[in-house]
Amino acid sequence: MTSDERAARCAARCATRRMIPRAVSTLVLLSCATVAACTTSPFGYPSPQPGSSTRAPSGSARPPEAEPAPRSNASAALLEQGREARAAGRYAEATASLERALRIDPNNPLLWIELAEIKAADGDRSQAREMARKALTLAAGNPAIESRARRLL
Amino acid sequence: MKKRLLVYVLLAIPVAALGYGAWVWGRIAREFDDRHWNIPAEVFASPLELYEGRRLSADDLTRELRRLGYGPVSGRIGPGLFRRDGNTIEVHRRAFTYDGGAFPEQVLHIELGGGRIAALEDGDGSSLPIAELEPMLIGHLFPSHGEDRIILGPDEVPQLLTESLKAVEDRRFDRHWGIDARAMLRAAIANVRAGDITQGGSTLTMQLVRSYFLSNRQTYTRKIREALMALVLELRHSKDEIMLAYVNEIYLGQNGARAVHGFGLASRFYFGKPLAELDVHEIALLVAIVRGPSFYDPRRNPERALARRTLVLELMRDAGLIDAATFASNKDRELGVVTVESRRAAYYPAFMDLVRRQLRRDYDDEDLAQRGLKVYTTLEPMTQAAAEQALVGELERLQSAPGRPELEGAVVVTNPHNAEVRALVGGKRTGFDGFNRALDARRQIGSLVKPAVHLAALEMGRYSLATQIDDVPVTLELDDGRTWSPRNFEDEANGQVTAVRALAESLNLATVNLGLEIGLERVARTLERLGVEPRRPLYPSLLLGAIELTPYEVAELYTTIANGGFRTPLKAVRAVVDGRGRTLRRYALEIEQVASPESIYELNQGLVQVMRRGTGAPAGRLLPAGLTTAGKTGTSDGLRDSWFAGFSADHLVVAWIGNDGNASIGLTGGSGALQVWARIIGSVETSSYDLPPPAGAERVHIDYRTGLSTDPTCPDAVELAMPASAVPPKAVTCGSTNTRIGSRIREWIRNRLQ
Repeated sequence: MTSDERAARCAARCATRRMIPRAVSTLVLLSCATVAACTTSPFGYPSPQPGSSTRAPSGSARPPEAEPAPRSNASAALLEQGREARAAGRYAEATASLERALRIDPNNPLLWIELAEIKAADGDRSQAREMARKALTLAAGNPAIESRARRLL
Repeated sequence: MKKRLLVYVLLAIPVAALGYGAWVWGRIAREFDDRHWNIPAEVFASPLELYEGRRLSADDLTRELRRLGYGPVSGRIGPGLFRRDGNTIEVHRRAFTYDGGAFPEQVLHIELGGGRIAALEDGDGSSLPIAELEPMLIGHLFPSHGEDRIILGPDEVPQLLTESLKAVEDRRFDRHWGIDARAMLRAAIANVRAGDITQGGSTLTMQLVRSYFLSNRQTYTRKIREALMALVLELRHSKDEIMLAYVNEIYLGQNGARAVHGFGLASRFYFGKPLAELDVHEIALLVAIVRGPSFYDPRRNPERALARRTLVLELMRDAGLIDAATFASNKDRELGVVTVESRRAAYYPAFMDLVRRQLRRDYDDEDLAQRGLKVYTTLEPMTQAAAEQALVGELERLQSAPGRPELEGAVVVTNPHNAEVRALVGGKRTGFDGFNRALDARRQIGSLVKPAVHLAALEMGRYSLATQIDDVPVTLELDDGRTWSPRNFEDEANGQVTAVRALAESLNLATVNLGLEIGLERVARTLERLGVEPRRPLYPSLLLGAIELTPYEVAELYTTIANGGFRTPLKAVRAVVDGRGRTLRRYALEIEQVASPESIYELNQGLVQVMRRGTGAPAGRLLPAGLTTAGKTGTSDGLRDSWFAGFSADHLVVAWIGNDGNASIGLTGGSGALQVWARIIGSVETSSYDLPPPAGAERVHIDYRTGLSTDPTCPDAVELAMPASAVPPKAVTCGSTNTRIGSRIREWIRNRLQ
């Protein structure tokens, strides 16, 4: 499968995902928009299936029973919190949220690159670089993460 | 002349009285109004985070809840209570603050299964992505003198307590001016009649003044000052303020060398739960203790304490604070005091020592003692309990061997991903605030150094773990003319061995030959990058670990190896918050890449083989089946130190055993520290070591003995990862078995094409 085919398939899958609660959908959409290989979520676990996730009460992000996605709900929620704090310029708080997410999901390159970008926004060039390097070592075969990381190196 | 003198004297008396009054006034204004009493910083453990998929058993969660003072019930739950029904646990979590954020009380519905949290919901059945239990208070940072207290706000003090205090200690509290002449007179008469001091007659205000400002010596001047100060206090402050100060200040017991002040801490000290959750009989017991914390100590003198509690309950009933039915149902209740053992379990002197040292970089002792700081640390009580049990149990077992000198030990447990210290044990007497071996015992690390030698070689690009090296005797002439002839532990040379075997079986000769080949300087520079400074000039004995480190430093070194070559100083404190809830400082994660990720990855595959085939293999029987771990034994010269450093995905454990006098203990890393390590890894919930391979690494199977590529099905196949350029040619045979030709050809073609 070429990367174009992957992207096309990716787009098709993404279009069906509108019902997914926000925390998870943000992640999935983001990963689909940027990651060519979209057969797994950025957390390395199978992506939640759109149909089943609508069973969860609104505002929550419960994965379908058939495909348990350990850890991803919690770190997705924390990533979302971190993004909100970062958008408001509260970098220390954003950092704390991302560090919490990494405690749950330490090998997730997306979390590392987001943390690197918070550091960059906060003016800490050297930590931005180191964390981008960390993301790179974990992002083998994930061109989106790789290109975001290279921008910080 | 005489007349004038008399006038002077008569004038001097009121002037002196006024002056003294002003001095008292000023002192109270200065010290009391500012609330500038010593509030030692409160230190909290890491809060237990709950989320779907987290590894946690129902039993562990139950234990953690009990540690936090939650009570099990079978009926309705309220704050501070939980209900367990098989694998379902419902907790009414208390409200708390953490790192500047406020968490309201909340009902959590937790389903556990298969060693993980299967579902997490709130009280209404809505699923929660994440929730946390309040962090456990693990201690206080003290100034030089030993006082301990928890400061309560006005809404945190139950009215029943304040009303009971008045009923028992000071019935006219709301009406008097700090001094109650009638009570004093009545007390004096009673004391004369009894021929002993049975009644104090002091108001609550006077008791407060005595506790706060005055020494404990009984003198007349002190009594006068006490009365005067009580008066001034009453003039300057409302009754509510005085009552709150009293509740926070009064002495209520002794916890070892620490004085227990205030009802907040006393509630924890005696009942293991917050004041707001106390039952009527428990409040009555605390009020009973006020009169004489030592005389009425419910642990040492339970009968006396019970008798006085009954008296207090009677006074509460007579004052109309409780009805007859409540009195009847409470008077026969047990004292309900938690055992000293369960309190001692929550005392972590070694970890607190580390916290103090890390904070001392940014705060002086005054700040820590007086600003009401809250310190949020990385300690995990569950992990700490596992580490303490493993070390203490294993040392007891090993000590029973005849002729062995007294054994001591230390353990450091970290999260290799972020270098947070999960647990720290400084010796076998874990509740004893003594020599902290985890931080201060500097000992030879022996073979723990070998991964650095191999890493230095791997980073050159010319070597892989499949490279054959010489495990043959070597004799070196040192600068001072002496010679050095290292030997293998088994005392035999193996000829040509693969680097992976040299590492797994900890072969000294092979490591020395490899180290000499690549040069001592290169090894030393690798160590320096990893944060270890070898003493110069360098000697070849460096290659066998003639370098002294503390267990804590070893944990830092191995944390860098475990997390893929990113160095991070170990961290025990996450954040410090001031008395008003503002975050003063966050200790953010900081990393620095100090080794090539490909080389570290390959090295770690070798450390996995230590556990599968090498000196770490005996740990297997203590570990859950299928758990992949990586690690290294260390044994110093003359069997003086037994080390093991190793890790799973999320736990890095360094264990050390030795003798404080540096005597030989007759234990290798494998027969001593490895056992402690395995017991810890086996009892914490952890996952297989799983760092994903970096882009430049190719997974290959090589023959453990020849270093040639081989089939995964071969008995001596070990999985390694190395740059494609370093992949060795394919073996003709699978040990003694023939490899299938077809697969070999396919493999060969694939290798050539890449």
